Amino acid sequence: MKKKILLDSFLFLLVALISIGVTSCITGQEDTAKNCDERLITVLNPAISSRMVERVPLAPRIDTLEGKTIYLVDLQWGGPKAAYSVFEEMEVWFSRNMPSVKTEIRRSSGGSFGDDPALREEIISKKAGGVVIGIAG
Amino acid sequence: MSRFARRIELEGKIPTVGASGVNIVRFKDYDLQYSNGMPIRYVAFPFPVAGQPRSVHKSYVEGKDLLSGKPMMQAIIDALTMPLTDEEKKEGMPAEAAPEPKLLEPDTEVNLRRLFKEREWTDFNPIILPAEERVAEMLKGTSHQPDEVVSKFGSREMTVEKAAIYAVMAGAKPEYFPTILATLTQAPSFGNSTSSMANMIVVNGPIRKQLGINSGTDVMGPFSEANSVIGRTFTLAGKIMGDLRLDEGAYSSLGSNLQYNNVCIAENEEALPEGWEPLHVQMGYKPTDSVVTIGVGWSYISSVGEAQINHPPHMMFRDYMRSLTGMGATIVMDPTVAGLLKETQGFNTKAELSEWLSKNIEVAAGTYWGNGVNTTAMTPMALQGMEPFATWLKVPPETLIKPFTDPKAIQVVVAGGGIQTTWFVTDFGLRRGVLIDKWK
Repeated sequence: MKKKILLDSFLFLLVALISIGVTSCITGQEDTAKNCDERLITVLNPAISSRMVERVPLAPRIDTLEGKTIYLVDLQWGGPKAAYSVFEEMEVWFSRNMPSVKTEIRRSSGGSFGDDPALREEIISKKAGGVVIGIAG
Repeated sequence: MSRFARRIELEGKIPTVGASGVNIVRFKDYDLQYSNGMPIRYVAFPFPVAGQPRSVHKSYVEGKDLLSGKPMMQAIIDALTMPLTDEEKKEGMPAEAAPEPKLLEPDTEVNLRRLFKEREWTDFNPIILPAEERVAEMLKGTSHQPDEVVSKFGSREMTVEKAAIYAVMAGAKPEYFPTILATLTQAPSFGNSTSSMANMIVVNGPIRKQLGINSGTDVMGPFSEANSVIGRTFTLAGKIMGDLRLDEGAYSSLGSNLQYNNVCIAENEEALPEGWEPLHVQMGYKPTDSVVTIGVGWSYISSVGEAQINHPPHMMFRDYMRSLTGMGATIVMDPTVAGLLKETQGFNTKAELSEWLSKNIEVAAGTYWGNGVNTTAMTPMALQGMEPFATWLKVPPETLIKPFTDPKAIQVVVAGGGIQTTWFVTDFGLRRGVLIDKWK
């Protein structure tokens, strides 16, 4: 009787171990599945080839902002009041620290994703020294 | 932002600097690579910027640029005055990147699965590895050539063969492939937003029955192979095509659980009340056409329980839809709800219901502009004088406005098993449907 119990226990343990091993292979658990199948397989590559879009250089920088006009352009991310005071604070900073710099705060009518040709034209025709554009976030 | 800066630099030869929250600036390289081509100089503020009081904005200006570590205003001055680096002077087409090989190096299944996870070519549910014979079998589901382009994203082109790879990975059958191809003409369309965008996929026409796409009981639940797999393929394809990897191309703050399956459903055309046309017929297609319609949205609100006689479903739609942007909506309702609306409320067509909602949904102007998507998207139109946005921006915030100006932007889809008078209102804006038969 005792022998039969021991034999039954051994068989139960054996079946359980085999079951665990088979299950691991099927489910692809990485530590055990590796032992199940070392066959090499070939699959297609899901990645899509791409390359960078055409590169365009930045405009040359100016030597100094002193005496220049700097446009501060609010793209109104989050609305017309969302970040406008950031530009107002920049204007305050320039007036205190670089008083020769003239600042012009503008809201772009194109918003965050559109264009504002009239504003671009103004900035270019007035030969602005530089433009700060923002603010998303 | 980068487009505006690019034009100023290019057309005016005027230096610019992009100023943004650090949450946006961290993805500047993705924009350079796939979109802009100009290495715009940036400074980064702490996030969030929008909605903060002036005192916080002042501290940002007086604080550090999170990119360079310099004082913010010094960083701005440097961005406008420091000479260009060789990298910033580059122009023309970049050297061709090494093209992706058609096949991956042979490896064990375990190693390949690991690679797919490392490259994020997965939604992290188990995938079927796209072995050659499996992809070849999938390609038998269409007459289109493997190198035909299904959709483009920048310089990235998804071919029929790539689509077949994604379909295999998601567990699709070859007979699903034309529907999947029609769906993928709209890919990718999520991920590149800080908000929680997702998609809705609606199938109409005979293909529903042919493929067993569920339109009845538990239509939105995980109970149909076709719904599950077709919806999943759209996400896998979108992720891989858009190179949307966590904290690389994908930067939605919360993301959306709907992206796992994209609310992939079929309309229960057989259960439509008389006079209520299927979605694709409303778009001008024939009832015998098979069509898939896709739209982007964010929100998904359930009726929870059954319809009530004292405050019937259309009034509840109206109440719930006050929470939506107003840019578009899709209501998914059980056939029993559609029947009630026709028989007890007199809505003889879907269009009549959409018209009623357009006229009766009202929100306070302050609430409307309190939605960041509305504010960002519609304020420029308001400032350009476009109505009704210009007026809505001027009125006192408590003034009631009707944000759903276009009844045609309120779509109705009838689906479900007739077990509960339940429904969902969503803000998914469905685009024009795509013919599936074209992709057979």
